[in-house]
Amino acid sequence: MKRFTQMAYNEPEEMVFGHAPKPIKAIRDFELGAGSVVPELNVAPGEGAENSLEKMNSEMKNIAYSACQRAVGIGLPAFQLEREHIAQQTYNPSWGAENAQVEVSVLEDFQEEYGIKTGYRVTPADIRDEEKGTPMIGSEQYNLVMETMELCAENGASFLSIETVGGKSVSDYGIARADMKAILFGIGVLGSMDMQNMWTEIVKIAGKTKALPAGDTDCSQSNTSMFLGGGLTTKDNPHTLAAITRAMGAARSLVAVECGCVGPLKDCGYENPIIKAITGVPIATEGKDAVCAHSDVMGNLIAGVTDVWSNESVYHREEMGGTTPQVWLQAVGFEAALMNSAIQMGDDYAKSLRDMYTMADKYRDPQALILAYDNAYRIGEAITKYGEDPYLRAKYAAIEAGTIINEAVDAKKLLLTRFEKDSLDSAMKTLEGLSDEVDAFTKECIKRYKRKVQDFDPKSYEL
Amino acid sequence: MINDENFDQKKVFLRYNVELEGPAVKPEDDEEVAAILPTEEPFREIALALLYEDMDKVATTVKKALDDGISPIEIINGALMKGMDGVSALYTKGTYFLPDLMLAGDCLMAGVKDCEDVLGHKSDTKGTVVSFAAEGDPHDIGKNLILMFLRAGGFEAVDLGRDVPADVVVEATKENKPIMLTGTALMTTTMTAFPKVVEALKEAGLEVPVGCGGGAVRRDYVESYPMSFYGVEAYHTPKLAEAIVEDKATWEDIRKKYQDIVGEFVSEYS
Repeated sequence: MKRFTQMAYNEPEEMVFGHAPKPIKAIRDFELGAGSVVPELNVAPGEGAENSLEKMNSEMKNIAYSACQRAVGIGLPAFQLEREHIAQQTYNPSWGAENAQVEVSVLEDFQEEYGIKTGYRVTPADIRDEEKGTPMIGSEQYNLVMETMELCAENGASFLSIETVGGKSVSDYGIARADMKAILFGIGVLGSMDMQNMWTEIVKIAGKTKALPAGDTDCSQSNTSMFLGGGLTTKDNPHTLAAITRAMGAARSLVAVECGCVGPLKDCGYENPIIKAITGVPIATEGKDAVCAHSDVMGNLIAGVTDVWSNESVYHREEMGGTTPQVWLQAVGFEAALMNSAIQMGDDYAKSLRDMYTMADKYRDPQALILAYDNAYRIGEAITKYGEDPYLRAKYAAIEAGTIINEAVDAKKLLLTRFEKDSLDSAMKTLEGLSDEVDAFTKECIKRYKRKVQDFDPKSYEL
Repeated sequence: MINDENFDQKKVFLRYNVELEGPAVKPEDDEEVAAILPTEEPFREIALALLYEDMDKVATTVKKALDDGISPIEIINGALMKGMDGVSALYTKGTYFLPDLMLAGDCLMAGVKDCEDVLGHKSDTKGTVVSFAAEGDPHDIGKNLILMFLRAGGFEAVDLGRDVPADVVVEATKENKPIMLTGTALMTTTMTAFPKVVEALKEAGLEVPVGCGGGAVRRDYVESYPMSFYGVEAYHTPKLAEAIVEDKATWEDIRKKYQDIVGEFVSEYS
């Protein structure tokens, strides 16, 4: 496996939405990163649909149909539908397969009738669970995930994704206690290791079909930190810690591309601008049009260098403007249209819009600051400098994020509460004092967290 | 590149919490905390160690107090719980944050265990609560917060874990005889496990209030089946449990008086 030790761009200024140095073309002539931004829609089944395959098929058909109907109704040139599995669709691979067939069939009908280009991303649920004490690789749950991937790929998926959960028990423990060592071990060591195992296999599966291996997200770890962090006035996790966690998440999610993923990286991976700077693959992101699923503090900024603009997820129901597939596809569709207009008007316009998105949030919050494209590039450089070692690159990505935050505070551009500043100082002190030797760090962490974290069993990771 | 020299951030966003932040106050000097903390030694030293989330100091001061022959029960109630009450007070007013609460909770659990080892049995609690994340749901942060708030509030909290089937909840209810159950779910497709749990409890002849909440869970859904109430915030849980123990509140009472019980405005119940 080739690790990334160089950046895809010469300088951050080259980065802009809709353009990726490594554009992709999937089945049904669906292009990404090739000069336009494509909207992505994900709609979860409503309550009760999970009770039978028949109900799920009906729900899938309704979601796909109403999305397509609105897409042609407002004139979208292209859109991507995502099927993020609920547990039942992955526990029963035949459900996932049949559901995929139903949704793809609707997309194909509309493509044939109207010529609208459509992509279909399938994201099986990572049903592996450390709490159950089964190995992360080779367990019954692992086999079900892989079987579901394969069946969905055979049934028309354009892209395969997953939100892997390796290292989550330890990182959850660390995030709740601001324990930087636990977070780094959970993300930089266990998470990266687990991703390599998972994606090596998924890339092989994709290779046997027409589906492309798209990418992962550090949802189970960095987004946990972001969600607990909440808004600017919440009193749970410090946002400085969430920012540092995110930088580590970039070093981890990069592994998918190293294993052969080509994008679009998964939408809820807020770390994706960093990975685009390193790899040049198209990315999906989400922000102000994903408020139906969760609240973040970088709703505009995160659009700056995107290629696929997503709503994250919404439950299937009626709203005043139509069904949720219709309403939220329209929201992401019009935002993508704005970006595509800027691209058509010329590079200066596109970069001006990119900078407007960026400045709307850059100093709102440390989490936004480190994902502004110029800072994302800096963190990418820290990662590629130590690219060969997943632990070291996560550690130095975290230190670079902390440095960026401190510089902005010193320049009086970013304001932090005492709690956020104290947490940052403490995190930096811990990070700077850690060994550069992964084996020594791993040995120490196994001893410490095997005792403290009930669900963590090193044997599950073959450690 | 961006030229942000003349960019007036305050026209775009405001950091209210930074602007309104007052001077730093030592935790023990906060008026409310000062009234909670014990004044006599060694109780004060133990409570302060917990207030500062110092695990090592909690261990050494508790051990010394036990070696000096002080009753384990007095240490738990007069020092450890007082320190935790101080932490909870600071969290409620926004001076302390989640990591403070979790680390202090770890100190409390360790200190109580040391005392119970000397005591030779579990110490008395206000009651037992059994908590689970719904079948099919791998998300459990909400449940973990509930456990921590319950333990900090003096309750025995039994953790059944994630993705818990109804029959496991029934067995745990028979075994632990809880005063209340809590169920959490992030997704609408997993909150449908709640009425199945209630049905299984009823079939087994068990009558116990089930507090249901989390992510996409709605009050109208929870109130569509019996023996349940909708829980809004994890930190409300000890107050709801106290209402059951002290005021004999039923699930119907909680549905009607939720705001009064938790003592604050709750938009979902307004």
